[in-house]
Amino acid sequence: MDGTETAQFGALAVVGLLVLFYGGTFLISTRIGKKDENADGYMTGGNNIGFGISAASMTATWIWASSMYASATSGYTYGISGPIHYGLWGALMILFIYPFGKRIRAVAPRAHTLAEVMFARHGRSSQLMLAGSNIVGSLISLMSNFIAGGVLISLLSPFTFTQGVFAVAAGVLLYTLWSGFRASVLTDFVQVVAMLGAVAVIVPFIFFAADFPAAFESGAHHLTAQQGNFFSSEAFMQQGAPYIAAVLAYAIGNQTIAQRLFAVKESLIKPTFITATVGYGAMVIGVGMLGVLALYLGFEPTGGDLNNLIPEMAAEYLPPVLLAFFFIMIVGALSSTADSDLAALSSIVMADVYGQNMTGKEKANPKTMLLIGRLTMVVATAAAVAFASLQLSILDLLVFVGALWGALVFPVLASFYWEKVTNKAFTTSVLVALAVFLPVRFGWIPVDGVFGVAVDVLSVAGIGVVLGLMAFGFFGLKPAKVIAVVAVVASAPFAIGSLHEYATLCGSLVAYSVSTLVCWAMSARRDEHFDFAVIAERTGDFDDGAAAAAAESVGAGTGPESGVPHRSGDSDGGREPAGSAK
Amino acid sequence: MSTLALSVYILMWPAIVAVVLVVISSGFFREWAEARRNGRRMI
Repeated sequence: MDGTETAQFGALAVVGLLVLFYGGTFLISTRIGKKDENADGYMTGGNNIGFGISAASMTATWIWASSMYASATSGYTYGISGPIHYGLWGALMILFIYPFGKRIRAVAPRAHTLAEVMFARHGRSSQLMLAGSNIVGSLISLMSNFIAGGVLISLLSPFTFTQGVFAVAAGVLLYTLWSGFRASVLTDFVQVVAMLGAVAVIVPFIFFAADFPAAFESGAHHLTAQQGNFFSSEAFMQQGAPYIAAVLAYAIGNQTIAQRLFAVKESLIKPTFITATVGYGAMVIGVGMLGVLALYLGFEPTGGDLNNLIPEMAAEYLPPVLLAFFFIMIVGALSSTADSDLAALSSIVMADVYGQNMTGKEKANPKTMLLIGRLTMVVATAAAVAFASLQLSILDLLVFVGALWGALVFPVLASFYWEKVTNKAFTTSVLVALAVFLPVRFGWIPVDGVFGVAVDVLSVAGIGVVLGLMAFGFFGLKPAKVIAVVAVVASAPFAIGSLHEYATLCGSLVAYSVSTLVCWAMSARRDEHFDFAVIAERTGDFDDGAAAAAAESVGAGTGPESGVPHRSGDSDGGREPAGSAK
Repeated sequence: MSTLALSVYILMWPAIVAVVLVVISSGFFREWAEARRNGRRMI
């Protein structure tokens, strides 16, 4: 990609902005760096992080460059409801996942990864399935953020795509490598402040600079009837519905979210998730509105590539100072997610591969773990840079991985509540769901006959599963069953016979329903009674120094029980950290 | 939607973003000050 034709910044200006951004975040990370880092701190920051950093980090991690590009694309493609069908559902998923988060944290208060908890709950195959899907998802995410950085730099400067990818990859690795997750979440605060501040200023500025609100009338002819309808069925079926199904899986399958769940002080889970819900939704929908404005203006992105939409809108209407803010906003968004992906990948390899499988928890050497974590970051960065050069279709890959995670959602969540779920039921249900998902998603079998009806029926069941799971987190089992049945009965007359035409949506829904049905069928009649208290004993600190680190982070009052895994006494998370003086 | 309603619909999101920015920042600086007062690390 040759950026010289559309360059808005000189080489010196871009280098200055990158040095300012990555140099600044590196300096911040050095403020918390320790000569002898703690292995558990490297993965979760001591399980005691406050509201400000946690809320900022959850928001920053959930927002990535693709969120902004995709939301604006949705606004440009589907009209005024488009950004809602991207941003609102993504935001609500953070909210819907929080009751499950409280439960997960209550049974495994000092875990590092969800896969580690699955090892304690079921065994190796369940753990490796979840860890493997986490690794694939984080690598794709890392690659896509590097691609977004390369595209942005090539579009707004004389540098090439490849030079941009290398600059972003080196910058992220620089400040994340030494302190891992601790550096990731602290720098997230600065990055989220830059991102939110930029959106609060840039969107209104472009609105007035592009002659809105008058352009709503002069440009109305650019919109189709569906694009001008806030209740557009096309926007819901093509964008909203597949996204609703996919993002619930993202929230469960994505280690970056689980890592923050295990890091935040337990009593602050609720305000953290609620703030991140509102912050993510407003920011992503706000940026998506630039796509709506572009639609009214009849704006044509270069080459018809919708990824150019936001950068070109910014370049067209922003003065140089605000364009620099815009540049920092996108670099902040992609860097905050990329550093989270690096921290997630290192934690999985440290805890799940080395700590649980290669040595066993008791024999794991914390110093070796740290070395492995840092090497993982270097290798993952190199791999993501190499994959970035292939310029694969990111959204297709993400939808695919999201559906794969859909097969894991019910077995994972049921494993935290239902004592009858076994390792065999978990593993079999996921594999069968994947075997059914693949032909549906990729159209390997024609869906115009009996198979199509079967896909519709399973998809309708999937609608019941998704809505039932959402309701279960907040209201419990009985209301969840009622909502699931009502959803199935209400959607069946409309869905059966036509839903199979939407392969992306059906693929996700089938993954949910098949895994749920198989897991339920293999577990319901079992006479298993798993003791959930065992999970807290089987997961926990790897590093003997964790007690000291925890005590240091909460102040005086170090007691002999410091660092010992505690089980939460109530689901609201009233547990105080060991050694707390409060 | 009327022009006014569309304008409010577009501009309400950056306004909410600004509120979230204030909430997160105030939480961060409050905890930072508390950590400094108690002589401990924030993270």
